[in-house]
Amino acid sequence: MVSGAVRYAADVELTGMLHARILRSPYPHARVLRVDTTAVPSGVVVLTPDDVRGLGAYGCQIKDETVLAVDRVRHVGDPVAAVAARTPREAEEALALIEVEYEELPAVFDPVEAAEQDAPLVHEAHRVSENPAAYFGLRPEAGTNVCHRFRIRSGDVDAAFGDADVVVEETYRTAAAQHAAMEPHASLARWDDERLEVWTGTQTPFNVRADLASVFGIPEERIRIVALPMGGAFGAKAFVRLEAIVAALARKAERPVKAVLTRPEEWVTLNRHPAVITVAVAARADGTLLAKRAESWADTGAYADCGPGVAQKIGYTVVGPYRIPNVYVDSHCVYTNLPPNGAFRGYGATQAVWASERLMDVLAERLSMDPLELRLRNVLRDGDAFCTGEIVHDVRFAECLEAAASAIGWSEGRRGKGLCVLLKGMQTPSRAAVAIEVDGGRFVLRCATTEMGQGARRAISLEAARLLGVESEQIAFPNPDTDVVPYDTRTTSSRSTHMMGRALEEAVRDLRESSGTRGFGEIRNDGGLDPDTGQGIASSHWHQGACAAEVRMDEETGKVDVVRVHASVYAGRVVNRPGGELQNEGSMIMGLGTALFEAVDFEAGQVTNANLSDYEVPSIADMPELTHDLIERDGAEVHGLGETALPPVPAAIGNALASLGLHMTELPITAEAVLEAVDRGRKSDVGAVTAG
Amino acid sequence: MSPEWLSPTTLDEALELRAELGEDAPTVAGGTFLGVLVNQRLLEPAAFLSLRRVPGLEGISANDHLHLGAMTTHSAVERSPVVRERWPALAQAFSVVASPRVRNQATVGGVLADADYASDPPAMFVALGGRAVARCLAGEREIAVEELITGYYETSLRPDELITEVRVPVGPERAVYRKFRSRSHEDRPCVAVAAAVANGTLRVVVGAVAERPQHFPELCAGSPAEIGRRYAEAIEPISDARGSADYRRRVIAVEVRRALAELRWTG
Repeated sequence: MVSGAVRYAADVELTGMLHARILRSPYPHARVLRVDTTAVPSGVVVLTPDDVRGLGAYGCQIKDETVLAVDRVRHVGDPVAAVAARTPREAEEALALIEVEYEELPAVFDPVEAAEQDAPLVHEAHRVSENPAAYFGLRPEAGTNVCHRFRIRSGDVDAAFGDADVVVEETYRTAAAQHAAMEPHASLARWDDERLEVWTGTQTPFNVRADLASVFGIPEERIRIVALPMGGAFGAKAFVRLEAIVAALARKAERPVKAVLTRPEEWVTLNRHPAVITVAVAARADGTLLAKRAESWADTGAYADCGPGVAQKIGYTVVGPYRIPNVYVDSHCVYTNLPPNGAFRGYGATQAVWASERLMDVLAERLSMDPLELRLRNVLRDGDAFCTGEIVHDVRFAECLEAAASAIGWSEGRRGKGLCVLLKGMQTPSRAAVAIEVDGGRFVLRCATTEMGQGARRAISLEAARLLGVESEQIAFPNPDTDVVPYDTRTTSSRSTHMMGRALEEAVRDLRESSGTRGFGEIRNDGGLDPDTGQGIASSHWHQGACAAEVRMDEETGKVDVVRVHASVYAGRVVNRPGGELQNEGSMIMGLGTALFEAVDFEAGQVTNANLSDYEVPSIADMPELTHDLIERDGAEVHGLGETALPPVPAAIGNALASLGLHMTELPITAEAVLEAVDRGRKSDVGAVTAG
Repeated sequence: MSPEWLSPTTLDEALELRAELGEDAPTVAGGTFLGVLVNQRLLEPAAFLSLRRVPGLEGISANDHLHLGAMTTHSAVERSPVVRERWPALAQAFSVVASPRVRNQATVGGVLADADYASDPPAMFVALGGRAVARCLAGEREIAVEELITGYYETSLRPDELITEVRVPVGPERAVYRKFRSRSHEDRPCVAVAAAVANGTLRVVVGAVAERPQHFPELCAGSPAEIGRRYAEAIEPISDARGSADYRRRVIAVEVRRALAELRWTG
């Protein structure tokens, strides 16, 4: 049912509020020589680079962003000025009156080229952030565009490759994608006596608060973030987006200022990291995996955002849920002059799994082995060690794989069918806390978990009701407000139902043991990885899933028709079944888009398809038969379900095509690329006949 | 400055405004195309000329011709019993445009006047020998759709003319519309083929591959495969996100052949 009752950030109105619009760079890399605002009428407030020069830099992992581009723009769409006026139209018209003089600089758009020594530098220096989102050892490489590199060093890879019966290697690519949340970014800021208040659609209220404190040089306690419900986020509303600009404008205007992005602006605000991943695997003739070597380049665009974290995630996810004694990984996060890339449902797993799981089928083919059997022979089981050295517990990879295979009739014939298995980490280390306040017959949850349509409020309220032994209608869950709620790391990485659920158990215990009017619970998951060896605890528990796909393909046009997709996801214990099912379905649909349609297209750094007509998200008419299961186990803990079923979909589809002899290496899989693969197959058939 | 919204209530009034303002006031029919241009700031006119309140521009009737009023929506054509019965391929071509929300809004006159190379209906109109009725204050004339669309977003419509109707002759014995999408189901065609046989004459028109619908009467003889091959050679396809020129050329050969097989054309 749609009631229209939800109040989004764009709906918030304050007396005297002004509307902001942003002037953006038309160049991918340029010096800003002059910003002339003399033609702007006096009633309009203009923020220029001179206004922000004295403000601090921010960035959740690398401090590389300023409120507006100062002296240099680094991507098409980089904000160079902003205005606030009484109406959005007046603001829009004022933008046209600002004159900016640029001097173009050489730009770089490919992460592999950008990582080379002589590439144009997007940033002259790297400064690690003090934001708690910079939770791991950052390893920027001075004098290059590499803002972080993560390594895994485990065993003796060279020796294992030397001893192997079979070695396969391939390079895989994933295109940039746009989150395309239904609700665009929106934020509103107000200053009140040196105190900053921000109402915003964000997944990360505490990270935003920390970054704004860094920008304005004030203590975090003088900043209040109210995290309003979002109409979809998918990672795009993690960390600072519009908040710094509206806050700086509001301070200058001495009035509240609101900004709501237009749809085309979304494509220059945040996309998903394009990635190039070369992976090689060594095995014995019986299919036992001996070693893996991988090198990855994640293109983080003009600002790092959480790219270093994504590179780390790619680094260990590309190893896959397998027992591999010898592993050598170099994962780079690289600046380019594209718009920033950041968190996107899957957080690096999509790119990594595309590479690692496609290569597993190449290996299976080389060994003339059933791809399911090859995987089952090597998947991690309870008590095995992952490449990080951590021992895995409660792992169900084999069960997920078998369920997915069975759902598409794997044993009845494998032609046109493909499988994929996935291991995905959860934010580690992290903290979650909740306070329960008893108010008459109501229980008010004070917690920072944000709602973006994923159903977190519903799931956490159901858990609270279960633990308290009351009806879920008695649970109230106000919008997170950093003045009121205890600290929580953020609402990302499918962690909230799991982490907040555990914090709730503590809070309910505290409530019962104390006065009975207030209970507080806090949970930490400890761990982290050494950035130079990849050893440590990657994840306090694992998101696990498998996917199976069946395809048909038109040999004359290369058009792929996905007949069905099945995802099997380990849920541990399901808290809210309808919500969990929707997460699986939504993830699979997004995975289908990544597999077949979605790519942000660029021409010299300029997005050429920044609209929902040219940028293709899947439509309802594209849906295959979508089925899934949520695998449970008595006594198991709750596992997050928000993303697990997305990353395995492209590789399952790619592997289904591989069963037809078509080895695809790039996402999305276009009809044209498939037809080229058909041609290559024909040529090699002819070659085989000639040779015979 | 907000653009002025001109909303005449008679056809004469609309034609007077059109004569006076011409291209300075783009005509708004369904607004699905113009809306995108305005949102992307590709178009910032001083005024818009809306045909919404002009009576008599909407409706479907059939006698010796099919008459489609310019303001008739795609959905209305797609669902019309008479179109479905007597011009089923035309109903088909309108039914595969974008999504229901777009089809409820987009109009017959609009899709022709926009002359967007990647729209579905124009190629089908050309195959069926459709003619647009262009009105100005001085009178009206008929323009074959084949001659109406002259290039990318360009027509032979004069600045004082409005399309009021599209006429389609009776009697293709058989007609077919095939839309090949290289991406999502809601995408525009990568290659579209409209084909019709009327009085023993075959008309094959390929849409969405070049600046205007591609029709080569001299190549419309022979087997389906031969015609497909010749069309693929004759057309200079464009490259865009839906496919490169080389790819399109291959698909043209395949899709023309398939369309003619569907039409039971044996040469």
